[in-house]
Amino acid sequence: MLSKQRARYAYFLILPALALITLLKLVPTVEAVLVSMQQQSMMRPNPEAFVGFAHYARALFEEEIFWGSLRRSAVWTLGSVAGSYIVGLSLALLLDREIRGRTAFRALLLVPWVIPDVATALLWKWLYGDQVGIINFLLVKFGLVTKPILFLADPALAMASVILVQVWKLYPVMFVVLLAALQNVPRELHEAAEIDGAGAWQRFRFVTFPFIRPTSVIITLLGAIWTFQNFDLVYLLTGGGPADATEVLPTLVFKKGFWALEIGYATAIGMLMLLCLVALSVAYLYAYRVAGQDKEGAAR
Amino acid sequence: MTGSAAASQEIRDTARPVDFRRPLAAAAVYFVLMSVVAFILFPIFWMVSSSFKPQTELFARDITMLPVEWTLESYRSVWQGTAFPTYFWNSFKVAALSTLCSVVISMYAAYAIARIRFAGRYAFGMLLLITQMLPHILLVIPLFLVMQRLKLLNTHTALILAYTAVSLPFTVWLLRGFFEAIPEELEDAAAIDGASLLTIFHRIILPLAGPGLAAVAMFSFIRAWNEFLFALVFLQSRVFFTLPIGLASFQEEFTFRWDLIMAGASIITVPVLFFFLLMQRFIVQGLLGGAVKG
Repeated sequence: MLSKQRARYAYFLILPALALITLLKLVPTVEAVLVSMQQQSMMRPNPEAFVGFAHYARALFEEEIFWGSLRRSAVWTLGSVAGSYIVGLSLALLLDREIRGRTAFRALLLVPWVIPDVATALLWKWLYGDQVGIINFLLVKFGLVTKPILFLADPALAMASVILVQVWKLYPVMFVVLLAALQNVPRELHEAAEIDGAGAWQRFRFVTFPFIRPTSVIITLLGAIWTFQNFDLVYLLTGGGPADATEVLPTLVFKKGFWALEIGYATAIGMLMLLCLVALSVAYLYAYRVAGQDKEGAAR
Repeated sequence: MTGSAAASQEIRDTARPVDFRRPLAAAAVYFVLMSVVAFILFPIFWMVSSSFKPQTELFARDITMLPVEWTLESYRSVWQGTAFPTYFWNSFKVAALSTLCSVVISMYAAYAIARIRFAGRYAFGMLLLITQMLPHILLVIPLFLVMQRLKLLNTHTALILAYTAVSLPFTVWLLRGFFEAIPEELEDAAAIDGASLLTIFHRIILPLAGPGLAAVAMFSFIRAWNEFLFALVFLQSRVFFTLPIGLASFQEEFTFRWDLIMAGASIITVPVLFFFLLMQRFIVQGLLGGAVKG
């Protein structure tokens, strides 16, 4: 077939996809930029009035809530990613051996990842409950605490409690990717190191870890990108409370936009959030390319 | 797929063998693994176990691990005494229709990118990649305004459109990989016989890409089935609620009715778990392909 004719076909074939992406992704993105510079507030008339960078200035210089939420977003992201990396890596190391039922164990350990967010959140609320929750029941029964711990209602504990849920949800991805990366570690090197008298930690640090480092960087950045923009879990578990203790950027954007109906201001905060995500994404793409080059270099 | 066979072969070759001459060591490894799995999966066990308990046992002073008296009462109450069935069918409808749309739309687009050289091919690929990075919490505000203008707020159409658009980048990317794996010679032979591009696609490529289409369909379905934020923003009437927001609203509507909530949470999880176990291998590969190449 003539290549020109084929090319014309191609445009027909991508047309529906292109139309949908344009209407529901591209137009909204442009609109987000515009809206973030418009009045767009229930409190004031004339929603389309141009206000320039006023919303950005308000978020950055006038109100504490943006910086507070950014800080909590950082804690939430770092805590979740570090926790799930450690859990995922430990499990990968544990399962990195030739045993019967390996595939079954791998499948079982992946399950938390596929549970719908709403089920995850409700189920952990049930576990965390102060009157009838199983965790508090066991803690009291074994005499570890005298009165129930308010996991989600105590401002000092709420962040740690929601992070634990995200770790439970995120570790499977880390685990399965690291397990695959561990296949690249040559067994002979391990044996040689063992003969040379290297301990378990030294073998991990100097033999295993260098082989899984590029993968670790990539997967932790990816985990950070996912966690940073996660809305569902925090919203469903605490709604950003108590007393803003778990108010992260996504819940802040949602509340400003759909509760306070300050759409312009909410979008401006969303755009600032996007900037942070772009930085993470650039780091991710860079790590991805470096890892690719390493692989090519090793192959040569 | 041949890749998976090779991968599992590789696993067998390089993984450290457990020394079965020392049965105690092997037993220790199994013991540790099983304890860890039990610990990690406990929350899911607890959800299911709670859903089979009668209300009196659920809130009894002394908590029981397994129901002393097994009952389907909470499932019956949630299905007959609440709007749960409405939410369930709404979710099913929205997920099924958006899956259909995204499979059909993405298979043509993916084929074009995989096989045809055209100006803008690269740009189209980049557009898909970049728009995938937009956080939903930012996207949902202007999308709300777009839907308002199109008079689609509080309709399932809004959700179906949004879910299709959101899953497109991923489905196109995944299907493209499947199409590229099919040998091009098959198409050349048909082209020489005078078959048109679309005939070739429908008669030769699609039948061969069956597993790929199934994988893409399940990904789209699960994604739509689980989606929370867009549904929360677009839908206002209870009769249109999907499962995630319907179930979340149980918290206010039926405070302390954990029997209903756990039964509902178990039901929403079942289809997802079923698809996952069915597609486990593809999902793992998709993850590995996405995060680390090779």
